[in-house]
Amino acid sequence: MPPPKLLSLAEAVRRYSWDGMQYASGAALPIGSDAVVFGRELLRQKRKNLHAIFHCNSQQLNLLAGAGAATRAECGFTGLEVFGFANGLRRAVESGELVLEDYSNLAMPLRLLGGALNWPFVPATVNIGSDLQDRSAFAPAEFPARSKIATVTDPFTGRQIGAFRPLKPDLAAIHVTLADPLGNSIMLGTEWSRFELSRAAKRVVIVADAIVDQACIRQFPNLVRIPEIVVEAVVYWPFAAWPQSSPGMYDVDEEHMRTMNGALATSEGTREYVRTFVESYRDVDSYLDMIGGERLALLGKTRTAFLLDPYRKWLLPAAEVARRQQDAETR
Amino acid sequence: MSPTATSAYTRQEMMAIATGREIHDGELAIFGVGLSMLAGFFAQANHAPNLRAMTEGGVYGSTPVGGLPWGIECNRISTNATSFTSGLDALGCLVGSGRCDVGIIGAAQVDKYGNVNTTGIWDGDIGDAYRAPKTRLTGAGGANDIACGAKRFLIMVAHERKRFVEKVTYISSPGYLEGGNARARYGFAGGGPSAIVTTLGVLRPAPETNEFQLDAWFAFSSIEEILANTGWPLKVSAHAHVVPEPTAAELAHLRKVDETGALRRQ
Repeated sequence: MPPPKLLSLAEAVRRYSWDGMQYASGAALPIGSDAVVFGRELLRQKRKNLHAIFHCNSQQLNLLAGAGAATRAECGFTGLEVFGFANGLRRAVESGELVLEDYSNLAMPLRLLGGALNWPFVPATVNIGSDLQDRSAFAPAEFPARSKIATVTDPFTGRQIGAFRPLKPDLAAIHVTLADPLGNSIMLGTEWSRFELSRAAKRVVIVADAIVDQACIRQFPNLVRIPEIVVEAVVYWPFAAWPQSSPGMYDVDEEHMRTMNGALATSEGTREYVRTFVESYRDVDSYLDMIGGERLALLGKTRTAFLLDPYRKWLLPAAEVARRQQDAETR
Repeated sequence: MSPTATSAYTRQEMMAIATGREIHDGELAIFGVGLSMLAGFFAQANHAPNLRAMTEGGVYGSTPVGGLPWGIECNRISTNATSFTSGLDALGCLVGSGRCDVGIIGAAQVDKYGNVNTTGIWDGDIGDAYRAPKTRLTGAGGANDIACGAKRFLIMVAHERKRFVEKVTYISSPGYLEGGNARARYGFAGGGPSAIVTTLGVLRPAPETNEFQLDAWFAFSSIEEILANTGWPLKVSAHAHVVPEPTAAELAHLRKVDETGALRRQ
């Protein structure tokens, strides 16, 4: 059996990220399962000039953009759903500190699928005929911008269609609900584009809310949409998507969503946010203390908690995860 | 906006109900997050019990509980689903493919051919070279895919002059482009916008030209008010009429879906 891949968050970021890389995450919806805590750690380690590949903006991209760590981004949706505009990203785009290339929410997974399959391009029947095709922030002088979404001829009908450029990000940090110590992962809720991203990225780091014994994985192999063979490392981090939600685990933290987005509206607010909510904790325990026990309990009392029931008996206690992580790291 | 003297419902509620009336029983339908979700699920609760509703996240078979969901992964919409799949599945296999009957999208700006801008607000034209907008908005999201792929789609938008422009600065989601049969150039699977439902009335495309014209006003609005709040010389259909007010049953169904009162807040 392959060795366990449990790794600390800090070590995963040290080992698998670098300045200027193409970094993908956010293969979840803006208020859902995203590896937000991985973005916090990228900031703690002062990574910069990141080229962000985010199917949708999330609080992670909002933070990376607001703090100036991401300077290029490719996205479908760039807001925060009912929480409104993403102030950090918005400020970075309006000031020119971040160049944002727009696609749609179908274009992004199609481009990831193209990367996953090693296709030269992906036929596009959406995004064509609009300014998503004609305008490019990466090639601003080009109009219509055919280096972004080219026009090609369908060899069977002769019809003019579009061609999407496939994506193969250097690294994907993918949030999942459950993973075993090897990285076999189960996602509760919509997987959005985490399946395609896990195959398109050159390297995948799994960030899991909980670690389960492999017996759980063997009980539900049909639900394991990310198998360990595509995974480099597994980071155990409860409430990793906070303040966003993780179906089955915890609800969206409405108050902190607003606090965070409010802070990211200004550079002073962002600095203060980074001091208080990014640089302030040392480990998982102090991260959870920062959120606060009372709030964690409230968020954990989610209406979707029943979704986790079939898996509960396999959840590994934190101490057991720590022991296995130590084993993995000393190998 | 507040409930008018002659009615006990808000303009936003009327907009949601008028939008919902465009949705028919048995259809395959996709709703964006926010007000369009309330309009769609109102239709399901009120007159379309066999509606096959979905969100772009591939969340199927669910109905919101506890009020307007904060987003697609919110517990309010993820708690009673019958299937969770993916964006590629919902927006690709079911919408981009041409299978979906109807979608509902929102707009920051809409023009006389039903083209929608949700990307940004620029000072004047963008010009030959692309430049960042003065005010960045939320981007296209799944609306572009719905506008290209759904058999028809509805646009829900507050009726304000700044939003109703002759030509949008940036087309995030295509309506009828330059009008007529311009969409045919791209062979979209979908047919285009069938109505723009606003806080004041309903606009529909004219035959041949596909230019949107005033089809109906609400009991609390008027042709004059709508013309004054539209940024192009809006034509009035020969059959323009007043939209029937919400029935008590409709209001009750809407307010059950809109438990937290998102449409009643001003």
